[in-house]
Amino acid sequence: MDSLITAAARALAAGDPLCALNWVALREDAPALALRGIAMAQLGELDRARVLVRRAARAFGPKEAVARAKCIVAETEIALASRDLSWPAAPLDAARVTLEQHGDRLNAAHARYLEIRRLLLIGHLDEAEFTLAEFDPDLFPPALRTAHELVVAGIAIRRLHAKTALAALARAQQVAHRAAIPALTAEVENVSRTLNAPAARLLANGKERMLRLEDVEALQTSNAFLVDACSHAVRDEHNAVSLAKRPVLFVLVRALGEAWPADVPRDTLIAVAFRAKFIDESHRARLRVEIGRLRKALRALAKITATRRGFSLLPHDKRLVMVLKRPVDERYGAVLALLADGQSWSSSSLALALGASQRTVQRALDTLAANGKVQSLGHGRARRWMTPPIPGFTTALLLPTPLPGD
Amino acid sequence: MKRSSAEIVREYGPFPGVEQVGGVSFDGQCVWFAAGDTLQAMDPVSGKTVQSIDVPAHAGTAFDGQYLYQLADERIRKVDPKTGQVLATIPGPPGGGSGLAWAEGSLWVGQYRNRKIHQIDAETGAILRTIECSRFVTGVTWVDGELWHGTWEGDESDVRHIDPQTGEVLERLEMPPGTGVSGLESNGSDQFFCGGGGSGKIRAIRRPKRV
Repeated sequence: MDSLITAAARALAAGDPLCALNWVALREDAPALALRGIAMAQLGELDRARVLVRRAARAFGPKEAVARAKCIVAETEIALASRDLSWPAAPLDAARVTLEQHGDRLNAAHARYLEIRRLLLIGHLDEAEFTLAEFDPDLFPPALRTAHELVVAGIAIRRLHAKTALAALARAQQVAHRAAIPALTAEVENVSRTLNAPAARLLANGKERMLRLEDVEALQTSNAFLVDACSHAVRDEHNAVSLAKRPVLFVLVRALGEAWPADVPRDTLIAVAFRAKFIDESHRARLRVEIGRLRKALRALAKITATRRGFSLLPHDKRLVMVLKRPVDERYGAVLALLADGQSWSSSSLALALGASQRTVQRALDTLAANGKVQSLGHGRARRWMTPPIPGFTTALLLPTPLPGD
Repeated sequence: MKRSSAEIVREYGPFPGVEQVGGVSFDGQCVWFAAGDTLQAMDPVSGKTVQSIDVPAHAGTAFDGQYLYQLADERIRKVDPKTGQVLATIPGPPGGGSGLAWAEGSLWVGQYRNRKIHQIDAETGAILRTIECSRFVTGVTWVDGELWHGTWEGDESDVRHIDPQTGEVLERLEMPPGTGVSGLESNGSDQFFCGGGGSGKIRAIRRPKRV
């Protein structure tokens, strides 16, 4: 309708934000503000983008409900890309309803996907999956279908369902190609790469080998006794015991698992579990207590027998013992292990689970974050920590163009 | 001011490959409409597109009896409908425009959010006069000495007859809710053609009879 706005919107749709800015850089009316905001978002200037889109939402008149709703969706997407997930759900939901009422099915779906992506990022997998089931992705254009498949893949990766993840990524690759948005294609490739990279090491029969996610998945159904140092759990095909919140017990079972079928001397167990330099009788007493707790925890899976010099692991039905480890032994492995459950943790609950001070945990998190091993969401008390990799949607902004009447 | 509901006589489109209909114009036989990268001609009898010219076509379209004028970004291109050639490029008013009409030797450019209609020199693009409007202006057209323009704000759209001297609204034809008017052109007698924006349609509405 407006030749400059149309020219700018077309430039944005073609992925040329600089050309779009040429047309609307100096205009202060609502559509121009919105387009400037989206251009800034495409250029990665997320803070600036958010301010502009917010101003645009205010500048649209009361009769321009759809344009305003699109601005709110855009603002939410920018918040998601900048990993500020503490946005209130109500405005997004209201915007989605407005869009639905005006027959803008696509942008309404887009708003819903933002909510699902947030659920995935904060580790609410069940809820994300439940909401996702409402959609038939075949009804959407390529960009939105790619987002759909990335969410499916993300949930599957978190659940160690490699086959599902691979299938979703293959579909994502196809549709992303058709969407012809470079950032989106890169996003899909990025996820594919993580999926093909070694996900873990497996120690079995005294030999170690690298595993990909699909091998890890296959392990879940093996009838071996598995000490899983990635999720701090112990399992066979029938039972699973999480020791994520009992790190000392896990350290003990891991040591027993790695030595199996041999036993482990008491002093060695004390050294790894309590990090004690000088061992005295109180340590031995403490070890007895912890082994007692471990026995109780693993009752359904294995026995722990005392030997002359220490303890050994005896899985029921004489199962093979295997130990699953991270691809690289990490410092701060305990922190990573807790985060490996795919949920988001506050640093205070990490400290509680690890029996460490907040300061120690914070230092570990800062180091891990600096190396890209963990990421945080939110600020202040609401700050949560989690591990990649899951599709992060950092770059692929699919922002709707908030023009009236288009 | 007279108010009435617009009577939609016929709907055309959506047309293959056309996502947006911008400006519309009428050369006596065909309805020309701005379709983004092309200017297309539709036969109002069959409803089929009969010609397509590759030219940036983001907004208003006008016809001076011989040539077409097409507005895109800040330029107005003068196009020969027979050959599809761009004969001249005229600077549009700063800030671009939405509607475009040709009348009385001048081009008339509607500015959407500025709520203005400029009369400009068809040769140089110089602004000769500016009419202030009360609503967002989309299409602009002249018929029998009457100046009409389309408005579109949010869900509401109408076609209104204004006094070219004062900008006073004389008559309003209200479009049904959700039916926007992105471009406007009269057929020279009893109908207006209205571009339907993102609906990809063109609608013919009845022009009120003169007594």
